[in-house]
Amino acid sequence: MVKEITINPVTRIEGHAKVTIFLDDDGSVKDARFQINFFRGFEKFCEGRPYYEMPSITSRACGICPVSHLIASAKACDALVSVTIPEAAVRLRRLMHMGQIIQSHTLSFFYLSFPDLLFGMDADIEKRNIFGLIESDPEIAKNGIKLRKFGQEIIERLAGKRIHSSDWIVPGGVRWPLTKEKGERIAADLPEAKNITISTLEKFRNMLQRFDEEIEHLGNFPSNYMGLITPDGELEHYDGLLKIIDYQGEVIADSLDPTKYKEFIAEAVEPWSYMKFPYYKPLGYPGGSYRVGPLARLNIAKRCGTPLADEEIKEFRKFGKNGIVESSFLYHYARLIEILFCLERAEEILSEPETYADRVWAKAEVSRSEGIGVAEAPRGTLIHHYKVDENGLITWVNLIIATGHNNVAFNRAVTEVAKKYVNAKKLTEGMLNRVEAVIRAYDPCLSCASHSFGSRGIDFELYDADGRLIDRNSR
Amino acid sequence: MKSVRLTIDGRAVEVPDGTTILDAAMANGIKIPTLCHLEGVKDYGGCRLCLVEIKGSPKVFPACTTPVGQGMEVTTNSDRLKEYRKMALQLLLSERAHICSVCVANGACELQSLASELGVDQLIFERDWPELSVDLTHAYLVIDRNRCILCTRCIRVCDEIEGVHTLDLMLRGKETQVVIDLNENWKNATSCTGCRKCAKVCPVGAIYVKGEALSSTKDKEVAKFITERRRSAFE
Amino acid sequence: MNKVRVATIWLSGCSGCHMSFLDQDEFLMELAKLVQFVYSPLIDVKEFPENVDITIVEGAVGNEEQLELIEVARKRTKQLIALGDCAVHGNVTSLRNALREGDQAVLKRAYLELADTTPQIPSEVTPLLKKAHPLHEIVEVDHFIPGCPPPASLITYVLTELLAGRKPEMEGKAKFG
Repeated sequence: MVKEITINPVTRIEGHAKVTIFLDDDGSVKDARFQINFFRGFEKFCEGRPYYEMPSITSRACGICPVSHLIASAKACDALVSVTIPEAAVRLRRLMHMGQIIQSHTLSFFYLSFPDLLFGMDADIEKRNIFGLIESDPEIAKNGIKLRKFGQEIIERLAGKRIHSSDWIVPGGVRWPLTKEKGERIAADLPEAKNITISTLEKFRNMLQRFDEEIEHLGNFPSNYMGLITPDGELEHYDGLLKIIDYQGEVIADSLDPTKYKEFIAEAVEPWSYMKFPYYKPLGYPGGSYRVGPLARLNIAKRCGTPLADEEIKEFRKFGKNGIVESSFLYHYARLIEILFCLERAEEILSEPETYADRVWAKAEVSRSEGIGVAEAPRGTLIHHYKVDENGLITWVNLIIATGHNNVAFNRAVTEVAKKYVNAKKLTEGMLNRVEAVIRAYDPCLSCASHSFGSRGIDFELYDADGRLIDRNSR
Repeated sequence: MKSVRLTIDGRAVEVPDGTTILDAAMANGIKIPTLCHLEGVKDYGGCRLCLVEIKGSPKVFPACTTPVGQGMEVTTNSDRLKEYRKMALQLLLSERAHICSVCVANGACELQSLASELGVDQLIFERDWPELSVDLTHAYLVIDRNRCILCTRCIRVCDEIEGVHTLDLMLRGKETQVVIDLNENWKNATSCTGCRKCAKVCPVGAIYVKGEALSSTKDKEVAKFITERRRSAFE
Repeated sequence: MNKVRVATIWLSGCSGCHMSFLDQDEFLMELAKLVQFVYSPLIDVKEFPENVDITIVEGAVGNEEQLELIEVARKRTKQLIALGDCAVHGNVTSLRNALREGDQAVLKRAYLELADTTPQIPSEVTPLLKKAHPLHEIVEVDHFIPGCPPPASLITYVLTELLAGRKPEMEGKAKFG
């Protein structure tokens, strides 16, 4: 009898992962695992480097969300030099991070997941990708390209380069201010980006009626949620306090100082993955696991804090019990709302004169031996923690990556989907694509999570109860 | 002063006797790539990027330390020279941890831009990873020996221009490294005046001023500038 | 007209090179008319196909799976491109090579010293290679596009030249970092 099914690599996600589905003697799904197979070791090889090189080095953990790493890293460095950075620098860092959230969320939605929504989970695999989208619906594809480009251009206009623009954000602020002229250029492109987002939201809402089944069965389960929010309880990506709620929306912990994360977050290791399993300490492992990212943030926040996004979040909450939305499939929805929020916030920031102040860099010397920086990356809470010697050379690094927090949830989601859809006796490609689709909904950034990336083509394999390979099906 | 006639890349030029081939070429608008050469201080002939061919000899010569001769026919840019220069860069790039992406000098580095100019788009040798020290003790000057190419520009400006000779070389071969006084931490270097010239002329990210963008703090003209000012002051 | 068969591979890198590939923006739509993507993290083909014209590889070779994949890809590909500094010379991925027994050192730090519950080095996963290797140390590489990441315009240039049957001229264009 078949014992194990492997999906390797999981595709159209940001990184390399494999899923192994374990079967009972009768062929029904017993369990499933989401595994990461690679690792680079940033926490070790940064040792000995000057602290101010950390934003540049650690942002190389990820080419999709380098800005989130730059920000968490720079905030850890701000702490090492004990400065409060200039107000304009906070605004500019926020703006850059919004550019990054817009482009990253767009990548996830349009480039990776939308083909499943448009063509269906069982569509021809040759068609079911961004190039298929370009061919059959060039307008939508073009919108996706434009929106992603808008996000990337915010980063480029601020820092000079789209990806790994690592010399602009520095400990103490940013290296140079935003000129009025460049700000106006971003603002000029903003309305189109907003229109694309609004029309996409509308289209998505209409499509949702066709996806009742996916909403119900693609990783729909109760869990705890964690994220940063503003002191007023609004959506926040740069600063703020951590809040953890349970599946009913009850507060587990509120106003947690994220720089004290060691007191309440711990990490477990499983032998079968290079991605660790963070959990909320008081509840233990794995009971203290929680979800992070767009869905979690919207579940935690009282409101977004911008007019259009606040209207949209009301619609979003209708899919939940007590306003808590549990379906992993609705991460997509949450992502679109966050894009809208970022566009509205970016518009505000660009319209305020304080943004263009010349003073953007508080220069200071290293004066503390330990620094922690926390931000909300597109995929969730990102923690950088450094220790330095008396001269500022790094002696110790701990990184807790946004995607990692969702590790327990991934495993739960793939198990649930596998149980619902996978039938070992009559295995189809579409069944396995549904397992992959639930992973895509989380938009895992495995480049970050394992501090690496990898990919390998193979297939799924069927083993009998004695571990003998009985079938091998290439896709 | 006696002048010498020669041709460089087929062009007839006339320069004072004793001029180096490099200076003769530069005076006539012919560009030869260099890395250890620094106007204003003595030449060292270490980086081998300025190699040229002289008709009649199978050898190649460093233009920075070879004086011109009457009737010389110099070639500065043959296929052979291009290959040699690329090889010299390959060796420099693989000798230490020259990871441009995370270097403080990224975008402001002469080694990086020369590699680009000469079309070095890969590393053919396996990289060596010496475990060398980073000295962060000084209030603003930093030396990261992992990124040093041993061009000795810093040592020569420190000695010939600032006149204090705080910097020098220690050990030999691939162990060679730039040291401060008698291998002190920078903050304990009693001879250092903190003048920053070493940081200004360092072509890579080995010596620099902490926290400043290297694109704005690098200034290799400083040695030439001071030498010329001194000369005019004595005239 | 038969489309040119193109594959893209992510090995040990940060995905930044693939992102820079996507940063070609509207040109992607032109590209889609000329080439067919036969294998890529962006599409759902799970096995590296036969008869690939151009394979673009991001990242260094860091574990045994990647070693296997790159060898298969080389055999089935006419022209192999190393895209970005990790593939070209190891870059940040190879920083662990500087450590003595770097593979073990990085694993110990992350999974023994920095873990709270059940600290252990994951054992049921693909083992790391002792060192992270640039592509050309493992297989023959036809074209190198350095950069961290290489700018989208350079990727467009190289692809345009290759699709036109010309050899890309990298002098003055290629740049590390």
